[in-house]
Amino acid sequence: MDAQFVVIIAGLALVAVIVFSVFFLRGYSGKFTFDTKTGTTPRASEGEGNTQQAAFKGRFTVLSLGVGAAFAAIVAKLWSMQMVSADHYEQLAEENRTRTVTTPAQRGRILDRNGEVLVTNRPSLAVTAYSSLADDEILVRHLANTLGMPYVAVRRNIQDNTEGAQSAHTVATDVDRRAVAYIKEHGSAFDGVEIAERSERLYPNGTTAAHLLGYTGTVSQETLDAQEKSDDPAAIKYQSGDIVGQAGIEAQYESVLQGIRGEQTVRVDADGNVVGQADAIDPQPGSDIRLTIDLKIQKACEEGLQRSIAQARKQGYVNAGAGACLCIDCTNGEILGMASAPSYDPGSFTGGISQDLWNQLNDEANLYPLMNRAVAGQYMSASTIKSLSALAGLEYGITTADTVVTCTGFWTGLGEEYGQYCWDHDGHGPMTLQQGIIMSCDPVFYEIGKGFYYDDKNPEGLQEMFRRWGLGQQTGVDLGGEAVGRVPDAAWKKEAFADYSSEDQQWRPGDMTNLVIGQGDILVTPLQMATVYCGIANGGTEYVPHLLKSVVRRDGSGDVVENEPKERLTAHINSDADLELVRGGLKGVIYEESPSTAAHFNNLTDENGQPITVAGKTGTGEKTDEDEYAWFIAYAPYENPKYVVACLCEQGGFGASTCLYAIRDVLGVIYDCPDTSTESVSDSSR
Amino acid sequence: MASPATARKVAAEKRNLTRVNKQVARKHQGAFDGVNIPVAVAALLLVVYGCFIIWTASLSIEEASFPRQLLGVAIGTGLAIAAWNFDYRAFANWSHMLLVLDFILIFAPFIPGLSYEGGGMTGWIRFPIIGLTFQPVELVKLVTVLYMASVTAEYNGEITSLRDYLRLCAVLGVIFLGILIQGDLGSGIVVFVAGAVVIAMGGPKREWVLATLALLVGFIALFFALNSITTAYFDFPLISQYRLDRLLVFLNPEGATSEEGYNLLQSLIAVGSGGFFGRGIGAATASQSGAGFLPEAHTDFVFALLCEQLGFVGALLLLVLYLMLIFGAIHVAGRCESVFGRLVAAGIVGMWTFQIFENIGMCIGLMPITGIPLPFISFGSSSMMVQLLVVGVVQSIWRHRSKAA
Repeated sequence: MDAQFVVIIAGLALVAVIVFSVFFLRGYSGKFTFDTKTGTTPRASEGEGNTQQAAFKGRFTVLSLGVGAAFAAIVAKLWSMQMVSADHYEQLAEENRTRTVTTPAQRGRILDRNGEVLVTNRPSLAVTAYSSLADDEILVRHLANTLGMPYVAVRRNIQDNTEGAQSAHTVATDVDRRAVAYIKEHGSAFDGVEIAERSERLYPNGTTAAHLLGYTGTVSQETLDAQEKSDDPAAIKYQSGDIVGQAGIEAQYESVLQGIRGEQTVRVDADGNVVGQADAIDPQPGSDIRLTIDLKIQKACEEGLQRSIAQARKQGYVNAGAGACLCIDCTNGEILGMASAPSYDPGSFTGGISQDLWNQLNDEANLYPLMNRAVAGQYMSASTIKSLSALAGLEYGITTADTVVTCTGFWTGLGEEYGQYCWDHDGHGPMTLQQGIIMSCDPVFYEIGKGFYYDDKNPEGLQEMFRRWGLGQQTGVDLGGEAVGRVPDAAWKKEAFADYSSEDQQWRPGDMTNLVIGQGDILVTPLQMATVYCGIANGGTEYVPHLLKSVVRRDGSGDVVENEPKERLTAHINSDADLELVRGGLKGVIYEESPSTAAHFNNLTDENGQPITVAGKTGTGEKTDEDEYAWFIAYAPYENPKYVVACLCEQGGFGASTCLYAIRDVLGVIYDCPDTSTESVSDSSR
Repeated sequence: MASPATARKVAAEKRNLTRVNKQVARKHQGAFDGVNIPVAVAALLLVVYGCFIIWTASLSIEEASFPRQLLGVAIGTGLAIAAWNFDYRAFANWSHMLLVLDFILIFAPFIPGLSYEGGGMTGWIRFPIIGLTFQPVELVKLVTVLYMASVTAEYNGEITSLRDYLRLCAVLGVIFLGILIQGDLGSGIVVFVAGAVVIAMGGPKREWVLATLALLVGFIALFFALNSITTAYFDFPLISQYRLDRLLVFLNPEGATSEEGYNLLQSLIAVGSGGFFGRGIGAATASQSGAGFLPEAHTDFVFALLCEQLGFVGALLLLVLYLMLIFGAIHVAGRCESVFGRLVAAGIVGMWTFQIFENIGMCIGLMPITGIPLPFISFGSSSMMVQLLVVGVVQSIWRHRSKAA
């Protein structure tokens, strides 16, 4: 009780002063007196000019002084309040009588390259209530029954103060119209409960493009905390409860999509009733985003991927189910389609996702549907790397275009005890490098690997070549969660196996022969690999793969800001002949390697019936205890490349027999030429 | 012992004298000679100012009925004129009758049939048949001043015996306790201060007055000290924490959570936001009083309403009018030739000064919150009638200031 102590101390001090003054005055009585005992001139004009009259005069002087003192105190205090601190009090008065209600800005839409809507908004109704209602059990129970929510949940939402104590708290979003109508009809029973208009994300195409679009959710506490610390004036000021992008494009271009919330200042009376509008700043809707995605191609990627997975299952690969398929315009890096399986429904995140569903989406048994395997999945590249291995072999003089390696099915280049099989145990016979690419003959590349291992000048020439084309680095795609991949070398192995014996840390010839055919420790993402093939198709130039085509402002100006393609890298090409050799090999993969594969591509024509030539490479990654990982990457047209399509199917078996369907379907949609071949693909090349 | 005949003769002579006195007075005085102009003008302007303030309050506050306030002014003016015509000196002879009247008034709200309670208010009476409500404690202020003046005047301006002084203090203490029991601390303190001023002006030794003050402060300090001890060690507070908080809320209004704290804060905001010229009249600008944030904006906190609307200038104008009234009354007291008249005037000065200081002080955070009205300004006909009656008494003192007869 501080105030009490102040009073006591002040009181005691006053007593001391008064007691002291009594004695003091007594001692000098006569000198300090208001009374006139002697020496005062009586006032002649007054009838009885005497001491009594004079005594009263002195007393009235004291009384006047007292009155003056009281008024002086009032004036002094008034001066300090009304003249000195008036601004402070005026501000308090302003805070008293106005209340600021924020109006959320509508989130920008996401469109495909042709203007087809991928994500838009739909109006929804939310029920809000003031926190004071939490104690009204009857009302809360009534509300809970009306909304079909548990009583505890409704009460907790009403009490939740994260939206600010003054504003109404959201009880339920996306409330159905019947409940809203009921609440409106029985307004008196729901005093303090209000219906608010909100807007929710709407996905007209369902699960299509779920991974790249991402999803939204309420802003996280970490974001709010970070915002507290940051002093970037341009940053969006989030409020608790704001809807923000949390994955994919929604998160990547959050600042563009978000918009600026409006503020409505209303005048209120002492009971909180709105008596007028003071000020309003209209919300600025977020800008629309136009993606490079072509909805048709996107759907083709997804359906093709599903078809590939179905094919794999039909062939007995029961674990097939996950994969990625993407299509890039290699002339500028625009991603036209990007699919990842399994998928999910981004719509299930609007208005908050249930814990059950969230757990399901993060369950290994369900193959982590939230993961965008096209950018975040890391796989061994398998034989798709052989294009780069061939270039490396040629550039560093390990091999030549005319070198012939005879494949017996079992390669013993490193000695009998280190013998390795070609995928074709029967052997391919004599093979040039280009034939090696076409047939994906392993011994041809084992020789290159061995050559690098024993090359004193360029023992890591192969890895250098891989990195030159952008492996082991992020592509810079405008999506979160992009994996880096890995190009293994001696240094990496030493570190990765640091806990093992020094013998195990050694970079061995076997590592080299694994690497050269894309098996073992190499890791790439489907997007990285597709980008590499963009480079091969382009003659070395890779563009940064991207999804943003343009931003369309909705702040009234209607400005369109185009996203210019950026060059990612241009890989040095030693000689054009080398590249032509590889390209020829890639064409051979499609048309020469097996008649069944060729059958599916021979029927590909453009709108004029002219055949479209395709080049590509299959791959089959081998993992212990798992079925093979199927790869297929192709580009078309061969002569003037534009489209690169890549497909990966986890545990889908052989690339040519599963992923082929996805590749062909996507190309079929691009050229409006569906695959009519019923040829069953029995190609088991890697 | 005078015989009845002698008594009758004396009475007749006295009547005669009074009549002659009046005739003489009329002859020598002009129409307004019996009126103290500064006091009358100040009172008139205050009433006009008050009516204007209540009119502005009536724009946004339903209960602030402007016609009812005017009715109070009308009745009060009638009472004032009656009091002016009445020779106040007669009260000097009522003496202890006044004390009886005082206690009847204090406890009138408890008399069955008169008692009136409504809307959480206590201390009101309602006259049967005519149905008028009245707050008798307002009248107690004047009656107590008259009574204390009458008993103090017996010592003719010089109290030489400590016993006499203590007797006077005791009488005042009893009246104060009576009002406390009735339950109106604020009015009780006003009455106490007014009575104390009368005693102090009555001529006790200076040391006694100072010692009394010291004792009072000492007792209050002792009370709080004891309260801390009993609360801490015996868990038996002499005054409930709630009451204590209420009393001391003015020391830290922004940190208070109680209703009083909120009220006081709203009052401070209203006063402070008024600035120099005020925010003007009407809810649109003067939102504190206009939009209902300021509680009791037309009664106890009317000064805050005035300050918000009219600012420092308006407040200063009010204070100047009050000073004019009070110093006018002091002047009347000084010119009055009878001790009784002086003491009544002094008591009235004490009453006004303290009531104004307490009410305004409450609004601006100088004094604890007590529910007493601001003279001439606050809405309420009881206060208005009694204050005008008091002005009438002052005028009566002025009119009958000479010691003739």
